Amino acid sequence: MNVDAPKRDLKGPFLNKLTGFWGPLRNLSAARSRVNGSRSLLTAAEFQEELAILGLSGRRFEPEDYSDALGEYLDISITVHVIPDSWYPELSRLLALSGRLGELRYSEQLNMAAIFVPGSLPPLVLTLTILHELGHLAAGDLLIESDEQSEEDQHAEQTIFETLPLKKEKKLARGYPFARESLREREANLRASYALFAGCLGDDSPYAHGMYDVL
Amino acid sequence: MSAAQHQALVLSSVSFAAFVFYLCFLLPSRRTKFSVFAACNLFFVALMFGAVALLDLSGGRAEIMVAVMTELPVVLIIAWVCLALAGGLSAQLPAEPVARRPWLRTILGSAPIVLLLSVGFATVVGLVWPSPALRVFAPAPPQFFVLKGLIMAPEVIYSGFAAMLFVMAGQATGLKRRFYFKNLAFSVGMVCIALLALESMVFAGLRVWLSGEGRRAILETLNTLEACLAISCILGFTAGLSLRYTPAVATTLLHRLQTGWLRTQEQFESLEWQALSSGAADRLTHASDAVVEACRIKGLSESDTQKALATIRLVAVMRDPSSETQHITPDAARKLYELQEEILCDDVLASKISWAAGWRSRAHEPQTVKSAPLHDALKAALELVDNCGESEGVRTPPLWYYIAAVSAADAKMIDPTQLSMQLRDGAEYRAAVEAYDAAKRTLRMLKDHD
Repeated sequence: MNVDAPKRDLKGPFLNKLTGFWGPLRNLSAARSRVNGSRSLLTAAEFQEELAILGLSGRRFEPEDYSDALGEYLDISITVHVIPDSWYPELSRLLALSGRLGELRYSEQLNMAAIFVPGSLPPLVLTLTILHELGHLAAGDLLIESDEQSEEDQHAEQTIFETLPLKKEKKLARGYPFARESLREREANLRASYALFAGCLGDDSPYAHGMYDVL
Repeated sequence: MSAAQHQALVLSSVSFAAFVFYLCFLLPSRRTKFSVFAACNLFFVALMFGAVALLDLSGGRAEIMVAVMTELPVVLIIAWVCLALAGGLSAQLPAEPVARRPWLRTILGSAPIVLLLSVGFATVVGLVWPSPALRVFAPAPPQFFVLKGLIMAPEVIYSGFAAMLFVMAGQATGLKRRFYFKNLAFSVGMVCIALLALESMVFAGLRVWLSGEGRRAILETLNTLEACLAISCILGFTAGLSLRYTPAVATTLLHRLQTGWLRTQEQFESLEWQALSSGAADRLTHASDAVVEACRIKGLSESDTQKALATIRLVAVMRDPSSETQHITPDAARKLYELQEEILCDDVLASKISWAAGWRSRAHEPQTVKSAPLHDALKAALELVDNCGESEGVRTPPLWYYIAAVSAADAKMIDPTQLSMQLRDGAEYRAAVEAYDAAKRTLRMLKDHD
């Protein structure tokens, strides 16, 4: 995934001073968020709540419906480009060599996101790849500050992981994105698999069932 | 027996009958946290009203304490229902309308605190200014109305709110009828609680301000209404709890599918795609073209052509010695095939799990584990790789399988001399060989022409 964030010129003398005052405060809030900012990976039940917010809980839906509902909720335009191999034969090869299956581009300025996937992907992988990239948008992974990536090693048996604050609250998820990229990828995979099953099962999903049978 | 004792006896009997019904019929078949809590509550209510009916507890602050205690079970039921709707109970999801509007969660979550605080304030008011709370028809001071109002006003608001949310949950589009009736029943129960609380406030007001001949008759009518509402409330909740629905797919099965089949198939297919796209298994390109042409010559369907292609791809990748294909092994293929077979054993599951054949391609039928070419191709490829087409039993393979086998042998992916006699003896095999040779000739001619 790639982010085209708007560039802000903060080098003027006034703004430099302001940044100087703001720095300690910002660090204080960041430190606080690091203390409290941790959570576990998304569960299927939490994903069902996200679906309810999108109006898709208990309904059968396709990835297109999820994309449309997510775009509407986030107030951004999401387009999915399935590129046939005959149009751009090198795309599949380049993606395959880099170990990726798709590409997500996001522009804050244009208020739009574009997902590129090669048309030669097997249908199930194509569906999951698109849902994976949509999962990054839902989690707000594209809005984290790039200089705050955490590279600390965290133990495999750990279930609570560090998160990062966002520039703005344009996300569907209740929690903040994880600091570690590998965890963000893992959660996007989880979202994709939850979305696939929720879309197939509709109100036969045990999680959707729980939302209409609370007592 | 005084009128108060008589009313307490009626309410105690109703509560005890409901408790026995819960214990005998509902709890053994459906033991939810709420049904256990409701049963305990009913028993407590029966005991409280029974004590009021049998013992003379009238007079002073004892009367206030008993009156407050009899309100407590209703307050706890409302608090529990509000928390359940907000998803505030452990490992529980909120009701669908609440999940869509997070602000509702805050309102519902405040119910236990607000309701218990109001009961606390009412107790203080009652203890400071004692009133004849248990003597049903006796005139009461204005403080009695304050006491009742403090408890009942929040009850009316929260139970009315919960009733509305149950209706909203039941009205979701495309929902099963059973859920609609279940939520409707709970909504009726909560409406009855709201009306009971409202009636109780009106009753308290009439005891304070109404006088004259008609007073007694009005209060008796309201008493009867209260008993009717209590019975309706219990019936509503009983009906709601009795309507059961078991989802077609259990949580544990869904979790197993997510971590087992889906993850394995995604990894298998994506690794296969990466291996092929990055240039591994070069022998495949010519073989694929010939397979497609041979299938066209024999007039095979698109589905069978895709199965033949998927088979030849799998054989090529499994037999490719390069590092890109090292994870696509016969063992990995066998594991995936077995996981797919598990799904296919469950008809409901196999029919429900599907995925789109392409992006925004609603014209095409979605693929299922059964209809996707991979399932049959895995079996065919494993047979060709493991024992060169020696299939178990007396199954006669379809023509696409023969074409894939001929193609794999021709491209030296499998040893042609090792192709099983069982496979080579049939007329189908000879037809496949002819079609494949014809396909190769056609492709050669086209290439020469270019």
